[in-house]
Amino acid sequence: MPMVTHPEFLPDLPNWSRKTFFALALAAICFAFAFPVLWLILTSLRPESGVYYVHRGTEFTLGNFKEVLGQERIIEAFINSAVISTLATVFSLLVTVSSGYMLSRFTGPATRMWFGTIYIFRCVPYISWVLPLYFVVQAWGIYDTYVGLLLPHIAVHICFFSWLMKGFFDGIDPSMEYAAMIDGCSRWGAFIRVAIPSALPAISALAVLCWLFTWNEFLFALILTGNRVPVITVVMAQFVTEMGLHWNLMAATAVMALLPAFLIALFGQKYVIRGLRI
Amino acid sequence: MFGEQQRFVLLLIAPAALLLLLFQVVPIVIGANASFRDWALYNPKKTWIGFDHYVAVISDPAFLYVVLPNTFLFMVLSVAGALVAGLALALLLNRPFRGQKLVQTILLVPLMVAPVVAAIMIRWIFNDQFGIVNVVLEAIGLEGQPWLVQRWSAFGIILLTDIWLWTPWFTLLLLAGLQSLPKEPFEAAAIDGTTTWRVFRFLTLPMLRPVIVVCVVIRAIDAFRTFDIVWTLTGGGPGRSTELFSLYAYVLAFLNLDLGRGSAAAIVGGLIILVLGVVMYRLVDRIAKA
Repeated sequence: MPMVTHPEFLPDLPNWSRKTFFALALAAICFAFAFPVLWLILTSLRPESGVYYVHRGTEFTLGNFKEVLGQERIIEAFINSAVISTLATVFSLLVTVSSGYMLSRFTGPATRMWFGTIYIFRCVPYISWVLPLYFVVQAWGIYDTYVGLLLPHIAVHICFFSWLMKGFFDGIDPSMEYAAMIDGCSRWGAFIRVAIPSALPAISALAVLCWLFTWNEFLFALILTGNRVPVITVVMAQFVTEMGLHWNLMAATAVMALLPAFLIALFGQKYVIRGLRI
Repeated sequence: MFGEQQRFVLLLIAPAALLLLLFQVVPIVIGANASFRDWALYNPKKTWIGFDHYVAVISDPAFLYVVLPNTFLFMVLSVAGALVAGLALALLLNRPFRGQKLVQTILLVPLMVAPVVAAIMIRWIFNDQFGIVNVVLEAIGLEGQPWLVQRWSAFGIILLTDIWLWTPWFTLLLLAGLQSLPKEPFEAAAIDGTTTWRVFRFLTLPMLRPVIVVCVVIRAIDAFRTFDIVWTLTGGGPGRSTELFSLYAYVLAFLNLDLGRGSAAAIVGGLIILVLGVVMYRLVDRIAKA
């Protein structure tokens, strides 16, 4: 079997200079991508007096982290965000895996209607339902509660994730499910024991993305929660709006909020790339 | 009443449909109702006024000549920019080199940051007095710019921020697509000594086309309704020159406290993107079948 050579770019240059060029270009790209976050980390390490001249001065301190961790509201916000992100991920997947399966395996008027509905609601701008959503959540007495934030978060992912899940199931041969059903498995059995296990890479990819989206979501959290359920993105934004300009504290909180997202992305990227084949 | 299969089908979508009904359909109906009424705070009766709000929105010069062109320009440039950058990075990551894992992780950084925090940070980086960009410019003898208070530089920064935020998303989907392509055509091309460009142009690109088209449609719809980064970076300013359509509706509803007209604007925008979305979806279908 012939070796597949990776076609080289700039083939006229000698090998070492091409390598150096490649490395430099890579470093530049990485720097550009990471810069806002590097700057955030640097800001989080400067004392209050240093934030206006982050690039100058040599005092560095962990005091910001200590101050932030001492605030009960922030700890609470971290816990709330983690719980809501995790629950939203679990329930979003429960709901959308089955709806995507339906879109992929069945044809007929019901499927066409459901797909049309999903497509239309995918297009609706957030703005046109977030404000009335506030009234709805108020009217049902779930404003500023876990449930009141959780349910809209699940609802917002339905259209997109059903669409993606349909694509994943389209790529899986249904004959295994038919075989299971001939052997006496019910439709539910075929779905749960055969189809879901073979879609696991895709499901774990969506789980990673869903968790990250919910953890970083701002607009819902801003409008649907008040003082009882502080959420991390809202608390961070308040550091530089309502409570004055505490850039250092905002940065310290943001860096801590980045950590779980970073870990999830670090260990989850493998699954995301393996799973996201549409 | 229903056969066994219909029951199964309905049960599969029932939870999703219920949630969709309660948390999207109901609010949208409330919004649509408001768009036909004088829903301002000083009018407790909420008088029915028919299409007046719609007429007002469609004949508002700011909406027609600033907001809509901005939104379309933003949509096209943002999607094109993120697609090109994402494709380039996916091609890069698809070949093995030392440190590939590390580079891949770094390129995913924008996915990990909350967009609102990223926008706050970028506003700070481009601050005209204390921002690092101006400090560097002045250090090398150039003049600092008030980036966020000039129309086109502000628009450019919003655009760059959006591209930065969404490139990893394209990279992930396209990399997944690249890795699932069959190996044989590439091996055949390698044996024939085909140049890199021709491999890309005549093999990679056509085979990736379905993935690219789906990415573009999804992203275009999202780009059309961008809100948070514009709100945080410029708030639509200077003046109203960087206002996008979501901001226009938000300002009407939340700042002018005219929920009726805000809803009407949101519905007008929703209809535009819906038509656009259907056209794009047809296109996807045709391309996927070809």
